[in-house]
Amino acid sequence: MVVLLQGRPVLLSRKDSGHSYSSVKRCERPSDFVNYLREALEGVISNLKGNSGKSNSKMSGRPDGTMVYLVFDNLERVRDWDKSSTILPFLFNLYDILKMPEVGLIFISNTSPDTYYLNVGYVEPVPLYFPNYTEDDLRHIFMVNQANRKLYAAFLDVVLRPFCRVTRRVDELAAALSSLFEKYCEPLSDKQVVPNEEMKRKLFSQIRPHIASALNATFHVQSQPLLRAETNKETKKTNSSRMSGYLEDSDKIDFHMSTSAKYLLISAFLASRNPATLDASLFDSTGVSDSRKRKRKASEKSMEQKEMAEQELLMKGPGTFPLERLLAIFQCITSLAEDSLDEEESHEPTTEGGSRGLMSDVLLQLSSLCNANFIIKGGSCPLEGSTRYRTAVSEDLALKEVANICNDTSSALASSVLVTQIHTLLYRTWQVRVDYISRSCNGVADILARFGRHATLKGSLLVAPLDRVALLVATDQKHWEEGRMAEGRMRAIPHG
Amino acid sequence: MGREKEKEKPSEKALSLLRSRLSDPNFIFKPLSDSPDSNYSKLKFIISTSVTEACNNSILLLGPRGSGKVAVLELVLSDLLQQYPEVISVIRLNGLLHSDDNCALKRIGWQRGSIYFPIARMALKWASYHGGVGLICFPVSYPTILGVAWDSSICWPLAKRNTGRKLLDSYAWNINFCSQKWECGLAHKTIIFVLDEFDFFAQGKQRLLYSLLDAMQSVNSQSVVIGVSCRLDVDQLLEKRVRSRFSHRKLLFLSPSKEETERFMEHILSLPVDSSIPHNYTAEFNGRLKKIISDERFKELINTYLSFNFTIGHLVRFQAVSYMDLDVGFLSLENFKTALSSNQRQPKLECIRDCSILELYMLVCMKRLEVKEHNSYNFFSVMTEYKSIHDSSQTSDNYAANVCLRAFEHLLQRQLISFIDNKGHNQSVEFRPVKLLISSAELHQGLKSSHQCPAILLKLMDR
Repeated sequence: MVVLLQGRPVLLSRKDSGHSYSSVKRCERPSDFVNYLREALEGVISNLKGNSGKSNSKMSGRPDGTMVYLVFDNLERVRDWDKSSTILPFLFNLYDILKMPEVGLIFISNTSPDTYYLNVGYVEPVPLYFPNYTEDDLRHIFMVNQANRKLYAAFLDVVLRPFCRVTRRVDELAAALSSLFEKYCEPLSDKQVVPNEEMKRKLFSQIRPHIASALNATFHVQSQPLLRAETNKETKKTNSSRMSGYLEDSDKIDFHMSTSAKYLLISAFLASRNPATLDASLFDSTGVSDSRKRKRKASEKSMEQKEMAEQELLMKGPGTFPLERLLAIFQCITSLAEDSLDEEESHEPTTEGGSRGLMSDVLLQLSSLCNANFIIKGGSCPLEGSTRYRTAVSEDLALKEVANICNDTSSALASSVLVTQIHTLLYRTWQVRVDYISRSCNGVADILARFGRHATLKGSLLVAPLDRVALLVATDQKHWEEGRMAEGRMRAIPHG
Repeated sequence: MGREKEKEKPSEKALSLLRSRLSDPNFIFKPLSDSPDSNYSKLKFIISTSVTEACNNSILLLGPRGSGKVAVLELVLSDLLQQYPEVISVIRLNGLLHSDDNCALKRIGWQRGSIYFPIARMALKWASYHGGVGLICFPVSYPTILGVAWDSSICWPLAKRNTGRKLLDSYAWNINFCSQKWECGLAHKTIIFVLDEFDFFAQGKQRLLYSLLDAMQSVNSQSVVIGVSCRLDVDQLLEKRVRSRFSHRKLLFLSPSKEETERFMEHILSLPVDSSIPHNYTAEFNGRLKKIISDERFKELINTYLSFNFTIGHLVRFQAVSYMDLDVGFLSLENFKTALSSNQRQPKLECIRDCSILELYMLVCMKRLEVKEHNSYNFFSVMTEYKSIHDSSQTSDNYAANVCLRAFEHLLQRQLISFIDNKGHNQSVEFRPVKLLISSAELHQGLKSSHQCPAILLKLMDR
């Protein structure tokens, strides 16, 4: 018998002996809920009593040991609901409302009963407190089901105490300790060995540098490319980077985003952290204004004011910005990036394609960043009515993004948006086959693509090759045969 | 061996007998109700006179939770139902469930409707054909009509016409029925309305209360409205028009006096002589019980308990929690003492004792920020304070920001700190201002009682 409480409408479902939910009733009001519940419970109780062979108990109405318990788990979530002020006293008074002595109510909660006090009284349930595990309890828990108990005990002796200073929760400790134990056992060839004092000391000295970094880490799931990178980097000495959320050794961030998304993230960060009035001076295209200002010696008062301003900034958090400002800053940054690209790239079409690639999917990227909680959608401005956004990334992450981008712009090819996107696609978990067709053989496709880009959205059906294309078909064919003779390993693509 | 076996069985029997008594409200409240000026007798008198003399009445039962209002009421009603079997019908409404007026009327109709279904069904069909409301002169109660209207066999044909939809939903229609001077019951039957959690009915427009009390003003109606509430000022919540129709009769259920308490304890815990438990065991049990009850320390114990939980209901729970040591076979003073200490819990202290050391550091940082007159602080300001502590005194507990954030979230979960306002959902956790939910004294006590608290924290608290 399962009762599910989900928000305001309450679902009542019945579990039959086959452990499947046979009937689900939806009710909006507490009175309906009580009616359905009472019917269901009476049915269950009569079943139980019938099964145990007591026939006269229904008449007498006295309880005889058959009980139905309703268990409400995670009760602290009810506090955050809209109607918690009516639902909580309703739940606590459910026993009195039902008036069925065979029904017991059990509430499971993270917080103590004094956090549920409301101005409407109720008879408090009998509290039963489960204290948190002590270090000895934790030791017992972790020793259960261990293959090599002595080894694990030696490991726990070293590791448990420092970790218990940070957290005493079993789930968090288990995650941290399991990976650390693997590292602990690495130098051992035989995992079943019982360690003596000498071995324990060696293992301890080997694991000791890892403990400090493990203490500063919270659990996270490794993403695919880094695992492959790990297996490749066999010569790297410190491989504790697997554990840490922010990799100290390499500047790589452990998730992949397209370049436009990275630029968008950085522009959101800048828009949030800097007031709008500074935009003009920061993103001035001429870039000469700053050097002309005289540097005044900073007085004490201005230093104090600066500190106060910093404190305030710390307290208030990132500010909100409208969409137009974000796009303006984004445009500024990407145009600067495109300028640097232009200097290195000689081909006109590529740059054009690149910039269009950056701008066209900005709104798409914005919505995906919002969904990933990198940018938070705030309330709307009361004057204009447009939605405002706010950044949710920390300064560290933004700085790392910037470093990432700067490193990537060192090589022209790597800075191309398209190439980065290709890398992203390659890293996914599918099998990729890469075919190379040189530009000189692919003139037809090039022309057709441009034709499509400039055309209107309606499709056009071509029954014969275009005039512009006709000549090129022959040229392509000639180049193709030349290429085939020169390098024998090109695959044949049927020409249209 | 055999004798011990025999001895175990009577104590187990005794235990089960006592437990069944403690969960039976009838048994608990009967002895308190025997005297002539108790609430039980007053209530019984009022209701029985309304029944026999066919007059209307309204009364409020007020008292804190657990003082036995509903239990006494049930006792009275069961007695009266035995006395006048065919004359009384009882309708029960609960403020938590039925504070919505339509809901309440539906419930009334449901409880009453079973008797009058055939008549009312005809009446309703008549009403729908004639497209109006006030044409029927059947002497049935309006709640009955409503109860029938919700019956599905009538609902759908009526809903097809517009009048049907209005019929089902509008409260005005319901009141209309009422105002057509239909009595609230047939001439020879009294209806008793029991309104539990009366203060919930007094929220909003109080339409149900008004209609019930107003219907009582008519000559032909016979009803008693009994409201039960734990707010002692609930009649101040009533609107003027409702209060004027209400007879200001109130019965207060107050805490029992010391002598009453002692008599009560003895009554509950003494084993009856004629039960299946062997006589010598019973005699010894009762003898020991008498000694305990007359003991001064026991009286003190009960007084301490009653000073903050002063209703009979709480006393009963206290006894339920105190357990009898089955080896000894008898109740002793120590049992009651352990029960008292288990009742006197300090939840925040326990929470602090469960915190890890990093979480204790965060709490102490917040306390220091408060001392420095920072009215609002968020995670980042706490981190700056944390770093400054580590800069000044080189402790080993310097952890990174993400680990501290996790500890911060644990504190939020355990409700040792909380957000100042709940509206800032579009800010991330690190920026929302928080406040401490424990006082400085509690924190100090918690730190002292926690055995892994580093000495530096205590020093920081003292400064």
